[in-house]
This record gives sequence, structure tokens and C-alpha cells, in this order.
Amino acid sequence: MLEVKNLVFAYPDQKAPWNFQFSVAPGQCIAIHGASGSGKSTLMNLLAGFLEPQSGDILWQGKSLRHRPPWHRPMTSVFQEHNLFEHLSVEANIGLGIHPGLKLTQEDQLAIERGLQSVGLGGFGKRIPGDLSGGQRQRVALLRTILRQQPMMLLDEPLTGLDSDTRDLLRQLLLEQKALGSLIVLASHDDEDRQVLADSICRL
Amino acid sequence: MLIRAFTLLLLTLLAVSANAEKVSTLTIYTHPSFAAEWGPGPAVKDAFEQTCNCQINYVVLDSGGDILQRLRLEGKSSEADLVLGLDTGTMETTRQTGLLASHKTDLSALNLPVDWQDPVFVPYDWGYFAFVYDTEQLPEPPKSLEALIAAPDSLKIIIQDPRTSTPGLGLLLWMRQVYGDQAPEKWQQLKGKILTTTKSWSDGYFSLFMNGEAPMILSYSTSPAYHMAVDKTDRYQAAEFEEGHYLQVEVAALVKSSDQKELGQAFLDFMLSADFQRHIPLKNVMYPATDLGDELPAVFDKLIQPAEALYFDPKMVTDNRRQWLNEWLDAMTR
Amino acid sequence: MNLQPSAPFSRPGWRLWPGLAIAGALVVLAMAGLGALVWEASLPDMNELWRSRYLRTVVAFTVWQAFLSVVLSLLVAIPVARILARQSGFPGRVVLLRLMELSLVLPSIVAVSGLVSVYGRQGWLTGFANDWLGASWNLYGINGIVLAHVFFNAPLAARILLQAIESAPTSQLRIAAQLGLGRWWYWRAVEWPAVKPIMPGLAALVFTLCFTSFAIVMTLGGGPAATTIEVAIYQSLRFEFDAGQAALLAMVQLAICGFLWWLAARDGLTASLLPDRQVASHRSKAGSSFWARSGDAAALGLFVLFLVTPLIAILLRGLPGIGSAFFPEGSFSVNPALLDATLRSLAIALPAGLMSVSASLLILACGTAASQPAITRLTNVAAYLPLMVPPLVLGTGLFLLFRPNLGNSSEGLILVTLINAMMALPFVLQMLRGPMGNLDSASRQQADQLGVLGWYRWRWLHWPRMRRPLALAMAYGTGLSLGDFGVIALFGSLGQPTLPVLLYQQLGSYRIDAAAATGLWLVLLLLMLFSLFNRLGSPLFNAGLASKSSRTVPEPEHA
Repeated sequence: MLEVKNLVFAYPDQKAPWNFQFSVAPGQCIAIHGASGSGKSTLMNLLAGFLEPQSGDILWQGKSLRHRPPWHRPMTSVFQEHNLFEHLSVEANIGLGIHPGLKLTQEDQLAIERGLQSVGLGGFGKRIPGDLSGGQRQRVALLRTILRQQPMMLLDEPLTGLDSDTRDLLRQLLLEQKALGSLIVLASHDDEDRQVLADSICRL
Repeated sequence: MLIRAFTLLLLTLLAVSANAEKVSTLTIYTHPSFAAEWGPGPAVKDAFEQTCNCQINYVVLDSGGDILQRLRLEGKSSEADLVLGLDTGTMETTRQTGLLASHKTDLSALNLPVDWQDPVFVPYDWGYFAFVYDTEQLPEPPKSLEALIAAPDSLKIIIQDPRTSTPGLGLLLWMRQVYGDQAPEKWQQLKGKILTTTKSWSDGYFSLFMNGEAPMILSYSTSPAYHMAVDKTDRYQAAEFEEGHYLQVEVAALVKSSDQKELGQAFLDFMLSADFQRHIPLKNVMYPATDLGDELPAVFDKLIQPAEALYFDPKMVTDNRRQWLNEWLDAMTR
Repeated sequence: MNLQPSAPFSRPGWRLWPGLAIAGALVVLAMAGLGALVWEASLPDMNELWRSRYLRTVVAFTVWQAFLSVVLSLLVAIPVARILARQSGFPGRVVLLRLMELSLVLPSIVAVSGLVSVYGRQGWLTGFANDWLGASWNLYGINGIVLAHVFFNAPLAARILLQAIESAPTSQLRIAAQLGLGRWWYWRAVEWPAVKPIMPGLAALVFTLCFTSFAIVMTLGGGPAATTIEVAIYQSLRFEFDAGQAALLAMVQLAICGFLWWLAARDGLTASLLPDRQVASHRSKAGSSFWARSGDAAALGLFVLFLVTPLIAILLRGLPGIGSAFFPEGSFSVNPALLDATLRSLAIALPAGLMSVSASLLILACGTAASQPAITRLTNVAAYLPLMVPPLVLGTGLFLLFRPNLGNSSEGLILVTLINAMMALPFVLQMLRGPMGNLDSASRQQADQLGVLGWYRWRWLHWPRMRRPLALAMAYGTGLSLGDFGVIALFGSLGQPTLPVLLYQQLGSYRIDAAAATGLWLVLLLLMLFSLFNRLGSPLFNAGLASKSSRTVPEPEHA
């Protein structure tokens, strides 16, 4: 269970601070809904530990995550763009999710290869992100998130701006993950995304 | 493979240290031109090591001044048993540190232009400062210091800075010896002819003089000996000045804290023997400190023979150097 | 619940402490040197300094010549860098860049000999000027000093500025190209913003180098009117044995240069000399017309002439002796002395280069890890101490710290290596600062979340993008040590010379031709070294990295 309790945050020049509060169970997807500037990305950054809240807490399975650094939080983020290291190959980008020092076993390599095939990128392992389209890059990012096998996924507009085929494919992937027990926090403008994926909605 | 290499290294080190224990080592602080491969250092080392069950270990410092500085820093814990390469400009200051011991060497064999009875320092070679000129550029060099000073400013000379160089200091003393209190005025007259004042003799000789930048450079009266004997050219000669030439004597001394005093003393005695002295003329390009007789290379007969050796007592130099130097600076920057 | 396999050296302390320790050691060293002098003799009254006309003149002259040298170096470097950025495809460009890298690391006596052959009284150019232009030119004096300083520093500055211009953001270049900006506006809109952040650091570096210049100032200065503080310190220590005055002068030097670095550091000294942003493929159209290209060619030709003629002079002077330097007296075996000296030099220079590069990385890591800006600034300025503290003072400090082990053969050589690494640190640091600090925030966050920390972050995020700057930094670090004479002379050696020491020994024994040949050999060796490192850093040579990624990010086109 992920519980966000009275999480308060304000940027230095911001008058009215945000206050976030919701909870989600594993295998569920919560959609964060709000106009741009309503704090969706800020919330994602707070959950991931890229920002420090002023007060409140984040609990996972009853334990506080608030003072843990990003690398000790059981989640993986996907943003609208800039999800990949531009100088590393697709394989390496995914591999770093499996082992942060790229010490990959034969099985890991095989899993990456199969994963790439499953998202329609078979044989793209050696390319660098600069050679891929936006949709292909998002597929790589999502594949890394899946193979990293963390209990939570933080998705910040992950499908925005992609063609409809890719969107369908990625939605399908996310549904599968949800069925396998992943908890998804999804920030999205898109009504269809919410209808297909979300179990509950948090309005900001 | 790695282990084998390591074992080998270890064995070598052990062998070296075992070896080092057996024979005593004489550590000598000296300067680069003495210890160079073609300098007198290696030959002298071989010759001395044959007479004793010992090993000579040269530590090469940049100049006589550096030897003194190192000695001062190390004080009583110095590794040096002997210092070789101080000269009349630095020896008095070194004596005042109280870090040197007196010697027992018999100085009667010395063949210097001045009488030498120093309890601490033993000379091993000597020479005169002189202006070396390029005969192709300057067929008729000035015949005296006075003539040089009176020469038109179109005659360019290269000198070294007395603050950083031994010959540079030599010229300062030379002028002082010849002109006394008039020296600063004479320097002012000379100023227009000085192309530049280099940090060291090497800078001037290599970068400027041998590039033909000026026809005359402050050097040693023995410099032409090398050019004649080794380069086989008479092109570069020293100009003989009527007033006489300033003398430089290079010396060695024992270090008080040495635990090899006997060996050091033996080396000082050896220093005045022919086995040491014969390497001086062409390898150090200076006059030997003792009479070598026929062994003195023939080219040395072709060198200038100054009428008078000008020389200040080292104590006098130490006491007045700072003031003379400030006067020089004043004269040259006014 | 530790979810990630944790990376080696990933605790924050690993980023902070090693660099801080190195910076601290540098400060301790400088202080030990100064302290030793003060301890030996009490510090004279500061007022005495201002009362002495001589010392006042020295300080004023030092500042003045350094100021002139900086201004002129940058005035030469900026147009050269702009032209080289515009004209990216002419033949010989790569060679020219190598030669530009060379000028800084040349031993000064070799470089001065070359300069004198061109600009001296009997020089080629002087003859030409007198015969054809009727102009009289005198090398000796402030013009000679500034000329030599420009020769040493302008190519370095141009080299670094070029890298900055070439890494201007793509978006700006695209807009500039669309608008068809003229040269002036192109400079305002694209080039100046690219070089602006590195200007303070670059100017401070060149200033410090000229400020502490010694032998060149004396050889070309014409007389004692041209005396820098460094000369006065040497005089006080070696000649007058006045440790107090030496310490006072060293402090003045430290204060002036340190203040400048502090200023440069204030403008977020992350003002690096080598920024690394996305590299542009667009080039200005401004350089493409016939007249523009002819103008560029003429200006660049002048610069090439300025840079290359002294090198040719060194070549011509060294050639007659080089045969007998390698094969003495017609024997067919290579001269062991020269070979040994070469190997010995490399044995010192390569580890020294490696050490200075590693130390720079640690210092930079510390600068980004420290939470207080004051720590960042302190470590930054400390790294430049080796340039500001006179070598004699530094040597004294070291001597006192390592007293029992000095003068001893193997320890001595290790120490020489260490000091050489230290002396190269300021240059190496400037080359690496930009690339090291340029991880964008998106990458940083990703890396944090994935646990790519410590060693892993270095291995996978920094290293692949820093190969070229590292190679250049390594080349400079090694080259500076290879051409070094000062450090080894300071500590003494066991009669086994390195190449520069061999050169000075030959000079000291009238072996002029041999010395010229050794000088030439040293220059050739440096050239080979720079080419080698540039090859290692080029994208073509990426065998080491290619195991996981077949292609890396596109890199600047220049070599």
C-alpha cells in the first residue's frame, strides 16, 4: 500500500503550497488529474525523492520513504521525454535498470533481447537513443521500467505526443504489469489513458 | 608470472641492500656539469672507487647556491658527507652555517694564482671570468675593461645577472675590484652595450650567443679551450683585458655531521692527485688546481694569460655583496 | 530494504573526502613552505616592501607585463579560435592544432632559442623588417617578454576557446544560420555567449603563468629593469639568504594571483575552460564567401607563421646534431644515454600525467559534492596554488614535510613525479572542469533512481563522454612533466638525467649541437605524445567502450 499523507510542498516564490493526499494498493493505478501547473510533476518528483517535501510523509507498506534517497525507493519513473542516457546504447540503457553497474548475466541479456522484441524493437539493442523516434524511445524507457521490477511505476505523461499504435502497445504493456501486481501512479492529460488504465483518480 | 616478477624484484632489492651494507658509501652533493656523463664526475668516481672499498654516490643539485640551500635545510641530519662545487662566491656563507668540518689535506701542491690557506675549503679547479667573442663578427675586440666601457653602444654584449648566476656575480666583483666606488658610474656607461642580462650562463650562451645575437658574452677564459679541442674551431676566443681578470676558484669541503669523515678526507686528498686533476681541463673546462705538467692539453697554452688575477677575500664579498648589488641595480635601472 | 546492488564507492563521502584531502594537502604544502621561511627568519615589516623603490618597481613591473601579455594573448587567440571554428575543413588543420598544443609545454630555453632565431637581432624577421620595411625592431625589453608570453599562451587560449565555440548549443546555431547573421552578430549571438563563461578562468590562468614567468623575462627583458617577483624571490632565497623577504614577496604574489582566482571563481568558476554541450553540426555561413575565406586564410597564415617559424628554427638548429645524438661517432647502436634519459623522462611524465588527471577528477567530484559553496571555491582555488606559490618556496615546504626521504634515489624520483603531477594540476583541472560538471539534471535524476552511483556513475555516465577531454588533459599533464626542468633540478637527482636535465648538462658543458639536438628530440617526442593521446581520445578508437554500446555520442569534429 502506498500512502501519501499531507505531503506539503511549495517553491520559494509560491504563495499557496500544495498539499497531496491519497493512497493506492498494489495492482492498482491512480491517475493524477489537473491542469498544467497544478503540481502533477512536482508530486512525481516528491515521490521519487528528487524534491524534498516541507512536511508530511510517504508510506510504503507502512514504512516511511521520506528520508530515503532516490536509489532506496521502490519505484521507477518515466517522464514525457529525456528518459534515456544519450551516449549509451539501447541495451545499456535498459541494462542499467537491471544492474546499476551493467553487470548482466546471460539471462539478463536474454530478457533484454526478448523485451525489445515484445515492444517491436527487435535488433535495436546496439543503437543509441539519438537514432530512435520519440515513440521508440518511450518504448525503451518503459521496457527498462518493467525489467527493473520495482513495485511502483511513476509515469508522468508517458504517452503524450506518441502515435496511436504506440500508445495502444504501451497501454497494453501497462495493463499487463498492473495485472502482475504493479502499482502505477499516472499523471496524464489524456482522458483515454485514464479510462483504460486508472482505477481511481486524484484531482489536484 | 606476476609472482615471479615480484620475487625477482624482491631478490634484486635484497641483493642491492646487502651489497650496500658491505661497502661504505660516500655521498657527495655536487652540480650538474660535474656529474654529467661526459663531465669529470664518472671518471673520478671510477678512479677513486678503485683505491677504496667504497662507493661514491652523487646527488646532483642545480647549482652551488642550491647545494648551500639544501645543506641549510637539512642541517645536522644531512646525508651529505662532502660538498663539491661551491665557489668563492658561496663558500663564505656556507662556512658561516657551521655545518662544515675542517680538512687535513696538504695544500702545498696547489697551483693557483693566489695563495690559498683555507682550513675548510679545498680547491679543485679555477678559472678567470672573461668575455668570449666571435672572431667572425668582431675581429678587433676591446683590449681592456675601460675600452669596452668606452666602446660605442653598437657593440653589444651579453652578461648574466649577478643575482642568479656565478659569472654574473663575477663581473660585478671584477668591476668593483677595478673601479672601486666608481663602479656604479662605469656600469651606467656600460649599460647601453648590454643586450640583455640572462638568468644563467646557459641561457645566454645557447639561446643568444651561439645564435649570433651579440659578438661578446661574459664567460670563462677557458671556454675557447673546449671549442678548440673538441669543436676544432678557433672561432671563439676570450678577450684579454689589461686590468686583469677576476678569479673563480671551485672548492670542496667535508660536512661536519658525516659519519664517513675518513673516507671524505681521503677523497679530498685524492682530489689533488693527478688521477682526479687530469679530468678537469677538458671535462670541466677549467684550470686544474695542481700542476699537471705535460698532461695539460696543448690548447690551454693558446688561452689568454691575464697579467693579474683580481680577487676579493670571500669574507669581504659576503659582507659587501648586498650593498654592491643594490648599487648595481640602482645604476642599471635608473 | 536495500533494493539496488550498491555500487562501489557510492557513499557521498567518497565524492567529498578524497578531493578535499588533495586540496587540503596542497594548502598544507604551500603553508609549510611559507611557514618554514618565516620560521627561519621573522617576517619583515610589510611597510618595508613599499619603502623599497626596487621592490615597488618589481611588483609594478610584474603586474604590468602580465597584464599586457594576457590582453595580447587573448586578442590573438579570439580571432584565431573564431577562424578555426569557421573554417573547419582545410588541410593541415589537425597538424596546426597539435602544434598549438605544443607551444605551452616546450621547455623555455628551447622556445626562447627558436624565438630569438626569428625575432632577435640576427633573426629572420628582423632582417626582413630592416631590409624591406625600414622598421627597426628590438626584441629585448618588454616587447620581447610579451612576444614570448603570447607565443606560449595564445595558442593554448585559442585551443580552449575553439572548443568552447564549437560546443555552442545547437539551437542557437540553427537560429543564427536561419537568420543569416553577419560576423559581428554571429559573434554577439553565438560565439560570445559560448566563450563568456570560460573567459575569467582563462584570463586568470594566462595571467598567473605570465606573472610567475622567470627565465624568459630575464633572457628577453634586456636588464634588471625587467624583474618579476619570482626573480626577486629567487634572489632573496639563493643569493641574500633573506628568507623573510622571500616569504613576504611570495605572499604578495600569492595575494595578487589568489585574489584573481577568487574573483574568477566567484562567477561560478564552474566557468570551465572546456565546456561540453551538445555538439553542433551547423556552421556559420559567414565564412563561406570567397572574400571572407581569403581574409580568414590571410589572418590564419599570419598566426601560423608566428607559431611555426620558431619551431622551424628549433628544427634547423637541432638537425645537424641529431644524427650523432642518436648514433654517436658513427656507431650503429642507439646512444644509451639519450635512450635512458628518454625512458626516464617518460617513466616520470606518464605517471605524473595520470596522477594529475586522477587528482583533478577527485577535486572536481568534491566540488560538486560539497554542500557549501565555500568548500567548492576553496578546493578550486587550492588546485591553482602550485601555479601561484614559487617553486622554490614549494620545494622548501616539501622538503620539510618529507625530510628524511629526500635525495634518496627511488623516493626522490617518486617525489619528482608527484610534484610534476601537482604542477600540471591547474591545467588539467581547467580542461576537465566543463565535461565533468555537465551531467544534465534529467540524467542525474535517472542515475540517482537507478542507483548508478559512485564507481558505476563514473564508469557509465562520465567516462564515455570524457574520453576526448581526458586524452587532451592527459597529453598536457604528461607533456608538461616531460618538458619540466625546474622540479627535478630542485630536488636533485642521482646523476641519471631526464631529457631536460640532459639538455642543461650538455649546455653547461659547451655541447651546443648536442643540446640543440636533444631539444629537437624533446619537441618531437612531445609532438608524438600529443598525437598519440589525441588518437586514443578520438571516437575512431573506442574499442574499450564499444563492448556495450556500438556508437557513442557524436563528438566535436576537430581532432
